[in-house]
Amino acid sequence: MLPTLLAELSAQNVVTTPLTQAVVLPFLGAIVVSLIPRGRAELHRVVALLFAVGTGALTLSLLAGFDRQDSGFQFQVNRVWISDFGISWHLGIDGISLFLVVLSGFLFPLAMVAVAPSHDPKPYYAWLLVLQGGCIGVFCALDLFVFFVMFEIVLVPMYFLILGWGYADRVYAALKFFIFTMFGSALMLVGIVALTFLNRDGVVEANQARVATIQSEMATVQASQGLSGPDTPVDPAIAASLAAGEARIERLLNPKLNFDLVTIAESQTVTDTSTGASPFDWGAARWIFLAFALAFAVKVPLFPLHTWLPDAHTQAPTAGSVILAGVMLKLGTYGFVRFGLYLLPEPSVFFAPALVTLGVIGIIYGAVVATMQKDLKRLVAYSSVAHLGFIILGIFALTTVSIEGGVVQMFNHGISTGALFLLVGMIYERRHTRDISSLKGLQKSAPILAAVFTLVMLSSIGLPGLNGFVGEFLVLVGSFLTRRWFTVVAAAGVVLAALYLLWAFQRVFHGEPDEENADMADMNWREGLVMAPLLVLIVFLGVYPKPMLDRIEPAVARLVSHVENHSDYTEPAVATTGVGVDAPGEDGG
Amino acid sequence: MLASLWQQLSDSPVPIDSVDLAWAGLAPVMILIGGALLILAVDSLVPRRLRPGSYALATVLLAAGAMVAAVPLWQRVQDAERGPFATAAGAIMVDGFSVFATFVILSAVILAALSFDGWLRREEMDGAEPYVLMLLSASGGVMMASANDLIVMFLGLEILSIAVYVLAAMHLRKITSQEAGVKYFVLGAFSSAFFLYGIALIYGGTGSTNLVRIATYLSATVLGDSGLVLAGLALLLVGFGFKVAAAPFHFWAPDVYQGAPTPSVAWMASGVKVAGFAGLLRVFYLAFSTYRLDWQPVIFVLAVLTMLVGSVLAVVQTDVKRMLAYSSINHAGFILVAVQAATAAGVQAALFYLAAYTFMVAGSFGVIAVVSRKGDIGTSLDDYRGLSRDRPVVAFAFALLLLAQAGVPLTSGFFAKFYVITAAIEAGSSTLAIIAMITAVISSYVYLRIIVAMYGAGDDVPAPRTIPLPAAAGLALVISLTVTMSVGVFPGTLASLAERATPVLIPESDPGAVDPSGVPPGP
Amino acid sequence: MVAQNVFFYLLAGIILFSAFRVVTSNNVVHAALYLVAVLAAVAAEYVLLAAEFVAATQVLVYIGAIIVLFLFGIMLTRAKLGSDQDLTHPHWALSAATAVVMFGVMGYALVDQFHWTATPLPADTRLVSVDGSNSATVSDSVFTAYLVPFEVVSVLLLAALVGAIVLARKD
Repeated sequence: MLPTLLAELSAQNVVTTPLTQAVVLPFLGAIVVSLIPRGRAELHRVVALLFAVGTGALTLSLLAGFDRQDSGFQFQVNRVWISDFGISWHLGIDGISLFLVVLSGFLFPLAMVAVAPSHDPKPYYAWLLVLQGGCIGVFCALDLFVFFVMFEIVLVPMYFLILGWGYADRVYAALKFFIFTMFGSALMLVGIVALTFLNRDGVVEANQARVATIQSEMATVQASQGLSGPDTPVDPAIAASLAAGEARIERLLNPKLNFDLVTIAESQTVTDTSTGASPFDWGAARWIFLAFALAFAVKVPLFPLHTWLPDAHTQAPTAGSVILAGVMLKLGTYGFVRFGLYLLPEPSVFFAPALVTLGVIGIIYGAVVATMQKDLKRLVAYSSVAHLGFIILGIFALTTVSIEGGVVQMFNHGISTGALFLLVGMIYERRHTRDISSLKGLQKSAPILAAVFTLVMLSSIGLPGLNGFVGEFLVLVGSFLTRRWFTVVAAAGVVLAALYLLWAFQRVFHGEPDEENADMADMNWREGLVMAPLLVLIVFLGVYPKPMLDRIEPAVARLVSHVENHSDYTEPAVATTGVGVDAPGEDGG
Repeated sequence: MLASLWQQLSDSPVPIDSVDLAWAGLAPVMILIGGALLILAVDSLVPRRLRPGSYALATVLLAAGAMVAAVPLWQRVQDAERGPFATAAGAIMVDGFSVFATFVILSAVILAALSFDGWLRREEMDGAEPYVLMLLSASGGVMMASANDLIVMFLGLEILSIAVYVLAAMHLRKITSQEAGVKYFVLGAFSSAFFLYGIALIYGGTGSTNLVRIATYLSATVLGDSGLVLAGLALLLVGFGFKVAAAPFHFWAPDVYQGAPTPSVAWMASGVKVAGFAGLLRVFYLAFSTYRLDWQPVIFVLAVLTMLVGSVLAVVQTDVKRMLAYSSINHAGFILVAVQAATAAGVQAALFYLAAYTFMVAGSFGVIAVVSRKGDIGTSLDDYRGLSRDRPVVAFAFALLLLAQAGVPLTSGFFAKFYVITAAIEAGSSTLAIIAMITAVISSYVYLRIIVAMYGAGDDVPAPRTIPLPAAAGLALVISLTVTMSVGVFPGTLASLAERATPVLIPESDPGAVDPSGVPPGP
Repeated sequence: MVAQNVFFYLLAGIILFSAFRVVTSNNVVHAALYLVAVLAAVAAEYVLLAAEFVAATQVLVYIGAIIVLFLFGIMLTRAKLGSDQDLTHPHWALSAATAVVMFGVMGYALVDQFHWTATPLPADTRLVSVDGSNSATVSDSVFTAYLVPFEVVSVLLLAALVGAIVLARKD
């Protein structure tokens, strides 16, 4: 059974495509790790790392092989999975997903190296690998069904990571995390299925004209034979052609279900030019968008649905927090871009003001609440709420520049917040507390840690010259064209971010350390090794973001024109010229 | 007087038209009944006790044999030229639907028998009777799935139920088991009476108990007053609703599941439910599809109630068996959502769900049977604390089965829910689909609580204890887990089997299927 | 017809008398035996109506099974077997009233349905007739159309039997 299956898969060229490999390799690694007998902790770690690094290398090879001119989906693989429902293993990446795939590729091995689990290494590494496969799967999926499967599957490993290796209140946090996200995605499943039926109705509607043509042709043929209605013509050739016509009508009126993202997104262009009406029922599509938006809003998380995030972050083990903040929150924002703007452009435009409002509320709310936190990890968690608000603002400001900024910010937030969580984890490992008030003067005892923390923090604040600035700047510039006042308020969030992070830094690192804080060990070489690539990226992308922007921009430009073609939205002219694409680096430097 | 009676009888020998019996079509049932008799005979004739496990092995082999006998049937009914057929004067229908249900029921028998083996030995109850009763019960289930006559359906239901009443009350030293049996018996007899009364009313309304003849009659005749038929249909629904534990006929389920021996519950939750739904689908789709618009809203309400009861009330439970009892009510609600669609996709979804659910639930109760202690106690949530340390593999398998029940992707439970949702949306019941998914989230909380108990016990972990894992129970766990996970990745095979089992019930989708009348449907 | 009428009234008289004795007898066993007489006479009435299958069922089920069960019950419990003056229930009047009401209802239903018109008996009252309901048709259908249900009932009984043993057995 299994050999034949494998043979079939390799014959279909599925296994050999890099994207499939990148998705499947971590899952394979999880199986391998779980087959290694217990009690060999080091072996689990090494094997898991090998698989994670291998996946990372694969994603880097994708980056190398990516064609920056091509705005469409690259490295596509499209094979039938469940034929009756038109579900296929359709993967592909464009400039928007490329960097998220790369981010998932290298953040996981870093998180694995950074912290070793306190107990039970086998399931720990196995779950991390499953999580990696799921995350990459979400960013690569071009089939609604595959996307949903991956989107949902990442819940399980994260749940077990929090439950198994988290801190005191982990049971509550894990449950809350699982139930919140599952609730969101449950309705998304209904939305996905409803959308495929809606799409089928649209296709049938669009086919009506062709059906009418075929019917009239058939009527002509019948009339020429002097036949009426159900009579069968004598001439077998004519009978055959009539039967073929019937079959065609049958096919046109009963198309198969289709879960393909690209097909559904593009088929909405089918517009009857004479009446100006779209066969696609936008009224229903708006409800469907709400179902999608709920799932993504929980994941992001957007303002009123964010309450699971601080708990999950605080209770999760360090690696869990890094992945949660670095990669998993992006599932929501990426979902908004790919399955909001691209899949349902008209409803996205319709709901954009509401989402922008929620995003801006998130920016201010996250910043204000972060200021009041006593727990360092909770503070970073709330800062994520604020940063993700920026991304949402950028996406739903609907200009090329702002969306580009949002995409850049997704990647940069992954790096800088991931790094922040790693640093907080290091402090916790040494001091066994995250209480800001009991930490003091760490700069004296751990100067390197303090220096690294400073750099990462400044990146998170958005200091020009560091990576965090690029995304925020692009978002603000782009959004200013369409959402002026929101942008003004959001800019205040930047100031608040500086306030709470600097204040926290001051309390933790400055001053004279008391006895416990005085003899805290500094960063060791392993931790330095983990932080090094992140620091290099922080500086490099801050100074020279061009390679990244070059790859993102075509895809975003294409997305915006897709939105314009499918809705009454038109991008303000000045925003299309690519203002500030190259500027921020020079400005800041 | 007697003399003249004798005279008259001997004067006129009345020729009886012999009935055409397709023995091959009845083979699975015959193997089950014959096997039960054989085990009974061996048990009473052999002077010494046989080696422990022989009866379980025999039961598994019999069920497997019945499956083997069903394979040519499946090929025959799928054959375009031969197709489905009725036998025994139209009382039994052998078609894709019945053969599919037969396979699922037999799988449940195998899993429950494997679970029974170690359990009986632990409870020092080694004997043949549970296996005999389960085989008889399964024969009743197969009869229900293939009944083409309401009387056969009723008898199948009764055989199924009577054996299960006894299986529930089997643990003679445990008072809750006795209580469960009595409770199940009293309520079950009550529902059987409803069912029988329903048959009588339908016979009064249509003049037949044969499903195809009822369908033909109803599609050809416009009834001036359909009250009789509708009342009969409602009573049948009560009977079926009781068997599948649909709210508001679910009250017995938590108590009975909690008190009854765990392997019996594995059978009750899987095989009995499958048979109940098979009967429900056959009666409502085949005989009363013309009354679709009348029964759809009723099933809609039942489905909503069942799903809500099954998910919300499960949240407050502290006993794992009770939790899973409520969750099985929730599953029944999901299947009712598929039934409510009244389309081919609905039948397919229901069959897929039943098949996937059988393995999940039988596996789950198999774990409970293993984890509980002698006397069939130790099923509260606290007893699962630290299971991930004491029996990591069992805990992990249980966690996977629970996640499958929650509908997490890459498990069969996800596809089961997906197909149901798809069928519901296609039939225009998006509201139902939304309610279904919300209840799925609520019940996932229940499964997570069990997983939390196993994995997140924290510092208050009880002292380690050894939990023996009988080989047969381990095998059952492996089987159910393998099916659950492999169907979760490649659902195509099971889905296409379920699809090929549907056309009998939905004549219009396949002109080659048994079309009782060809007359356009009535009002 | 005359003979039938004569026998009808004769049997009706037996039924009335026996039924009266069932409730007035001071001996439980006698009461049960009077009940046998009532049921047997009813069976005889069925024969008069050429419904011999119902008659046979009446004898088998009611006399053969139910009354025997009654007698078992009486003899196995500690009820007094001889004459017992306390046998009459203190609220017997209530039962009598209920019986009268039941009689009224059934009588009304009959009258309402048939309006005092005499329904003629079937012309052919031989036991083996060409059509109509009799043992031959019943047995025919039992072995043709209802063969499977008929045989399946034995499985049902088997299941019940095994179940009874399981529950009654003492380990």
